[in-house]
Amino acid sequence: MKILFKILKLLGISYVILFIVFFFDLDGKFLYYIWEPRIVARYDRMKRRDNTTTPYTAEVS
Amino acid sequence: MKDLKHLIWFEDLLQEANNELVRRAKEEGHRALGYTCYFMPEVLLDLPGCFSVRLRAPRSTSPDMATYYMSNRTCMYGRCLLERALEGGFNFLDAQMATETCTVTCRFQEHLQMMDVINNPDFFCEFTDVPFKKNENSIDHYERQLQKHVLDPLRERFGIDTSDEAIIKAIDEHNKLCRIITEIGNYRKQESPVLTGYEFSLIMLVSLTCPKYLIIPKLEEVLEDLRTREADERNPFRVRVVLAGSENDDPDFVKLIEDCGALVVADRHCYGSLPGREEIIIRDGETPLRAIARHYLINNMCARFMEQHIMRERKQYIADLARDYHADGIIIEQMKFCEYWSYERTIDTLIFPRDYGIPVCSIEKEYVNNATGQLRTRFQAFVESIELKRLNREEAQS
Amino acid sequence: MKKPSIKKFLDQFYAVSLGERVVDDIKSGEAKNRRERRHEKIKEKQKTLDPKKVLHDFWYGKEHEERRLGDLYIGNTGLYKHREWRGVPDTMYYFNMIWLYNYAHMVMDILGSDEPLKFFTGIWRYRWIGQTYLSVMHWFDRGLEGLRGPALRASAWHYRGMVSETIRQFMRMFAADTKLHAGEKNDLWYKTIAHDETVSGNIFYPWRDVMDDVPLQMIPYFVTCHVNNKTVLNYIDAMQSIGLPGDPCPMCQAESGIFVLDDYPDYSPVMVTSNEACDGSVATSIITDWFLNRPLYAMPQPMRFDDPLTHKHCMSEIEGCWKFIEEQTGIPFDFEQYKKYADSFNELTEFEHEKWDVAANTPYYPINSVAQALYRIYYSQDGDRPIWHQVDAHVKKIMDKCVEKKLVTFPKTRHRAIAWSCAPLYYSHWCTWAYNCWGINTIINMDSLMFDQYLRTDTYEHALDDLARYNELAPMRSMAVGGHEHIFQLWKYMEQFNCDMVIMYDQLQCKGMQGIKGMFEDEFRKRGIHAIWVPHALPDKRTVSRKEIRSIINDYMVTVMREEPLDPTLVDFDDDESW
Repeated sequence: MKILFKILKLLGISYVILFIVFFFDLDGKFLYYIWEPRIVARYDRMKRRDNTTTPYTAEVS
Repeated sequence: MKDLKHLIWFEDLLQEANNELVRRAKEEGHRALGYTCYFMPEVLLDLPGCFSVRLRAPRSTSPDMATYYMSNRTCMYGRCLLERALEGGFNFLDAQMATETCTVTCRFQEHLQMMDVINNPDFFCEFTDVPFKKNENSIDHYERQLQKHVLDPLRERFGIDTSDEAIIKAIDEHNKLCRIITEIGNYRKQESPVLTGYEFSLIMLVSLTCPKYLIIPKLEEVLEDLRTREADERNPFRVRVVLAGSENDDPDFVKLIEDCGALVVADRHCYGSLPGREEIIIRDGETPLRAIARHYLINNMCARFMEQHIMRERKQYIADLARDYHADGIIIEQMKFCEYWSYERTIDTLIFPRDYGIPVCSIEKEYVNNATGQLRTRFQAFVESIELKRLNREEAQS
Repeated sequence: MKKPSIKKFLDQFYAVSLGERVVDDIKSGEAKNRRERRHEKIKEKQKTLDPKKVLHDFWYGKEHEERRLGDLYIGNTGLYKHREWRGVPDTMYYFNMIWLYNYAHMVMDILGSDEPLKFFTGIWRYRWIGQTYLSVMHWFDRGLEGLRGPALRASAWHYRGMVSETIRQFMRMFAADTKLHAGEKNDLWYKTIAHDETVSGNIFYPWRDVMDDVPLQMIPYFVTCHVNNKTVLNYIDAMQSIGLPGDPCPMCQAESGIFVLDDYPDYSPVMVTSNEACDGSVATSIITDWFLNRPLYAMPQPMRFDDPLTHKHCMSEIEGCWKFIEEQTGIPFDFEQYKKYADSFNELTEFEHEKWDVAANTPYYPINSVAQALYRIYYSQDGDRPIWHQVDAHVKKIMDKCVEKKLVTFPKTRHRAIAWSCAPLYYSHWCTWAYNCWGINTIINMDSLMFDQYLRTDTYEHALDDLARYNELAPMRSMAVGGHEHIFQLWKYMEQFNCDMVIMYDQLQCKGMQGIKGMFEDEFRKRGIHAIWVPHALPDKRTVSRKEIRSIINDYMVTVMREEPLDPTLVDFDDDESW
């Protein structure tokens, strides 16, 4: 019973926390200010194959 | 070189669409049929009783009225044609044989349908659907389209004889013209050509815009004249180039290139002769219409074709032209706002120097060519770069 | 000596102590106005402090005119100070059934895919997924802003459908992608068909049980661009960096740029391309062929599709495509499979017609314009998938209830608008804003109206016949090519959907639409139609920003329609740096 109560309490707290995240758009703020700049920096730095070197001759290779 | 026969007259003929020969043919009772694209087989429009006029809008300035209708973000060729139509410059047309082969010329022709622009009670505008491939299915389709949208309306509305015999006659005349133009064009292959690109473009353009039966005798005289024409002792040109790209019906543009020292030896662009002036061959068991449908699809090198091997082969075609005409480089020109050639030009600019070892000068231009100063700089630099490469090569060899 | 008047003295005194402007204000009565306004504000405040009103607003949310949605934004980021309070039932619905539900599904759908771990390598490898996936909920927020009740619920289901199908598609790409498998071609690579996003998924039904078909540009470019408009700019720039001028259709530029940046998944041995919708798409085929460098089948549709003679040609091209797939994969064509999926797809079409009927003839249509437009173009292009049926079942329930109980879903509708031509992808939710700000309710848009045919399946000939017609009338194309009479079907649809206003999308780089602009102007004038031209550059927000689009609509509403905004805080705000 105690465990069940604890679980319910934990779920309740999680629910409230999630609601706070939702209501104050904390997910958006995290993604905008923290996630996106970092991942974009990674893509900008990434080494990419130069596809323009692909031959374009009569035969499909 | 001495002046080529009829050249000044050709220049005059190209000053307006409704030129002296068009007027004469109209007076003789022939129907004038306009078109804009190679996909509309001119040979069918040259059946006895009618003649083809590939539309141009020479001496255009600012197409203000057309810009209201088509905005300033569409190809200027289409807009200048509409402007000319709105000004009454195409009132001589009895019909417009249209194709939806590129968006803006299609819209121009639709305006002719919608707006009652052409002041001619007989006028009509008929569209033909043109396939994107060269396979048998496409040839079948194209043949059916030409029958329904070209031959049938001509017969029904103007009483034109569209029998096989009449078509064969038109093919014969067409082939005669093609032989003349090809023979004239072949002079450009010579080491010291007796013909400039500018002169050839005049010849090619009059062959597209004047009634065939009136222009062929004159072209024969030009050919005769060329046979005895001698090149200047000192070659005024420093390099030879292939001019490839989208719509170009402006001989002055060719002249601009040549003024910079680059002789235009081959013309692979809309209104050019490569391809465009190949003879139509009727195979055994084939109807003349079928032969025409096959010819205009198979010989066509338009950037609109989508089959994989065709997309690739047309690069090879330009490279082959450069080889056959002993060109030192290729000028790829693109009419601003032409979607097909914006991509084609981008790819060609990367492919030719790398995969074929041919230098490329890649430019964007307008129909009304006001940017001559900038273009001149580009062409001069291109000529110099080719010369430099040549020098380096010679030095390396010695 | 004449004494200076008290009035003059006071004027001078105030001029010195308060400044000229205040004095002018006092003279013109402006100060009085300001005083009155202050009083009104205080009264307003007292009203909002009225416990009854507070309780009402808390439970039901504020009235439309009192919402002040623009005050919720943080600067130009598009983020919210806090998400909108829509009243208890709607806020809790949004939290539970939209926010939590969709976040949970975004995890569960990945876990339920063939290779869940590839999601992380995919995120690490491809910009289009890493930069957009997690911001999906903000895409919901933007599109569903201000919605209440059934409109909120039905529109959200449409979004859910799109997210689910998107996950399915990119997880399939990742599972087969050689770039995520150290260059190895696995079994899935051999059993996936890549095709242009403008080639209909219906074409591939005969192999759906043994292979899958995934449009190559649909997720990397089209879908992600709606969610986060910053990603696509890289692809446009990449294409221009190799020499392409800036004027071709930016959609085609972006599609091509994915190849230039090597940001495409390599998940199929073949490629099927198309000339849909225009010259730019034809040209893109060359880029695709060059960079993919593998067997490619081009399946063009006729331009003059009204001509019955073109139909045979179109059918042969589809058959050619089927033959190509058989030859390349060694898996035979199965008409029974085609029948199964086409029949199932017809059910979707049937419900779409039902939706149009409600939208056209009643005020009870519960789907907002952005959900309608995106969902419609997505599923009709994608073809039959289970998720579309699930979504339609949910939506049908909601819509039936609205009709039955006569629930007016967009009660502040002042104008019923039809949106014509192709929409700005970076601002497809402009219609949500237009309703919230001005009461312009966009009932239907051009792309929704295509692909409305049923596919017969009784015989092979009928099936092919209908499939060809279906492809001839593909999105962005049916109206735009094949003769001006198609684009002028606008008048017919305006009448059918009882619209009194046209939102005329003005895609600046679309030659087909630009080429007929003046005729539209003439017709609008002749017919006395209120039409607002909305310039844009499809995926590229740099050409015409969202703010500029709003400003054009604002100008029209104020100067021509002489109307007051429903929510003045939405008239002018900056969201240039938002997703």
